Amino acid sequence: MRFHERFAEKNRRYSGNSLAVFWIPGMILVGIIVMALLVIAIPVLRNPEYLAGAASDPVVFQAFLVTFLAGFCAVGILAITGTPLAYALSRTDAPWKGIVETLVDIPLVLPHTVAGLMVYLLFMSRGLLGAPLGEIGLTFEDAFPGIVAAMVFVSIPYYVNAVREGFGRVPVQLENVARSLGASPIRAFVSVTLPLTTRHIMYGALLAWGRAIGEFAAVIMIAYFPVVISTLIYYRFNTGGIAESQAIAFLLILLCLVLFFVFRFLTRRAGVYDDRS
Amino acid sequence: MGEMGGSDRDTGMRSVAVALLLIGSILLAGCSDKGSPSNTLQVIAAGSLLAPFAEAEQEFEASHPGVDVRIEGHGSIQVIRQVTDLGRKADVIAVADESLIPDLMYRPMKNSSQNFTDWYQPISTNEMVIAYTNKSLYHEEIGPENWHRILSRPDVRVGFSNPMLDAAGYRSLMVLQLAEEEYSDPTLFETIVTDHFPSTITVSAEGTVTTISLPEIMRPSDDKVVIRDGSIYLLSLLTAGGIDYAIEYRSVAEGMNLSFIPLPASINLGSAEYADRYNDVTVVLGFPRFSSIGSERNGRPVVYAVTIPANAPNPELAREFIEFIASESAKGRPGWPASLEERAFL
Repeated sequence: MRFHERFAEKNRRYSGNSLAVFWIPGMILVGIIVMALLVIAIPVLRNPEYLAGAASDPVVFQAFLVTFLAGFCAVGILAITGTPLAYALSRTDAPWKGIVETLVDIPLVLPHTVAGLMVYLLFMSRGLLGAPLGEIGLTFEDAFPGIVAAMVFVSIPYYVNAVREGFGRVPVQLENVARSLGASPIRAFVSVTLPLTTRHIMYGALLAWGRAIGEFAAVIMIAYFPVVISTLIYYRFNTGGIAESQAIAFLLILLCLVLFFVFRFLTRRAGVYDDRS
Repeated sequence: MGEMGGSDRDTGMRSVAVALLLIGSILLAGCSDKGSPSNTLQVIAAGSLLAPFAEAEQEFEASHPGVDVRIEGHGSIQVIRQVTDLGRKADVIAVADESLIPDLMYRPMKNSSQNFTDWYQPISTNEMVIAYTNKSLYHEEIGPENWHRILSRPDVRVGFSNPMLDAAGYRSLMVLQLAEEEYSDPTLFETIVTDHFPSTITVSAEGTVTTISLPEIMRPSDDKVVIRDGSIYLLSLLTAGGIDYAIEYRSVAEGMNLSFIPLPASINLGSAEYADRYNDVTVVLGFPRFSSIGSERNGRPVVYAVTIPANAPNPELAREFIEFIASESAKGRPGWPASLEERAFL
């Protein structure tokens, strides 16, 4: 075990020498992201009154709250429904598997206004799902559940594909060993497969959450209210001009940087076993 | 490192070269785009002008070989902000409310003493109608005499665009307010609008003038009224059957093949004759603090206007395009905003 680790360590350090070849073109992308951040950050920091105004504005605060909470709810729903789907897809050889995989990818290619219209048709209060759910008191139009529905729809492929990739890396033999020792399929899944896939689940959740909170077109079709952060940025651009919308965008970036960093810190040890390959 | 270092550096150099090539070609592509300004015409237009301008684009390009007209659509306020706030270069700016141009563009450009523009040309007019489809509740019953009673029914859902973003939005409110007097129905505005925004929309009367004050965020408290950013979203909802009636421009309803109820000239904001009557309604928009736009919108006839920003890359061609649009608008083409002359504006 120790030898193995030392070997891995040595291996990593050795390859570090020739990475320049990869860093240089790669840095173009990183450079573009950094420059994009700077062009937002510099004007905002030059006019701090807009930033202070945005930071102390209850409308902005509420929009952040709604957006982040809806994002968490969307990820929660994806975790409950998407994780079993990802597992089933990674383990089945059924001939119709390809059809399901294609369907899962559909939200990825749809223009977001079209995705928004589909969500609207389905969940509006006279819609296929919206009408029966409305009977039991769950309304989607211009309501929090509508935001969550749109967010879930657009982020399905991000979550399911990332998690399925993780399940695919867990050797089926490990599950079979657990089964041969008397574990039920559910138990084998929960105590063997799931822990080994933690990192991919976390990654899928992060991708889906990021996708969800950035969604604009699909959300405003079904739920223009309560206002999510992307709606507010667009709205303030129209009503107050670019300085106001940039200040809110800057706050969004700061909050997301902090959240992503905390997330990476908290999950840095999670699911290290499935890193072996 | 040793020997390996040499080959490393070579590959390193190669990738630097590749990267430089890549950046170079991107820059070149950018330059070549600007290399031929004489035949590209950038038009930024209000959403309700997109369909007619798409026709105009084809005809203009056909009569001006080699010219590429590029049309981009936004809400009228955002059309102007593309130039004033985002600093984009446009040749023609076209908006659905002529008063927006002096409000937002008669001010100096960044690092310049020159204004964004100092003039505008009215080109056409429009009128508000009640648009619906054959999925709308009570569509078999509705007509020019009873539309206000149908819209007041509690199960009927009415949509209009956000008054803060879209001229059609505050115009819809004006129409409903004017309808109170027209139909001697003093609770009309209350029933269709105010009741669904408890204590956030206030209506006050002083002499003959009624002032409607809106909050910053216009969130309805129930699903009787639906607000969306602009026509595209509103009409998607209408055709999807989520809302029953939308207050829209006549040219848009015609262009989208929607059924619509025309309104009397005294309330439809489409006639110069009734300008004084329209002026009895004022909508005060609830803009936040740093707003750069006049928040008071007085009732007046709908007048579309165009201008050429002072920094337009291609002003001569823009001038030709505006003349073409103006002369075509004067013909009163189907699906286009109406001719000014025909409606007694000239």
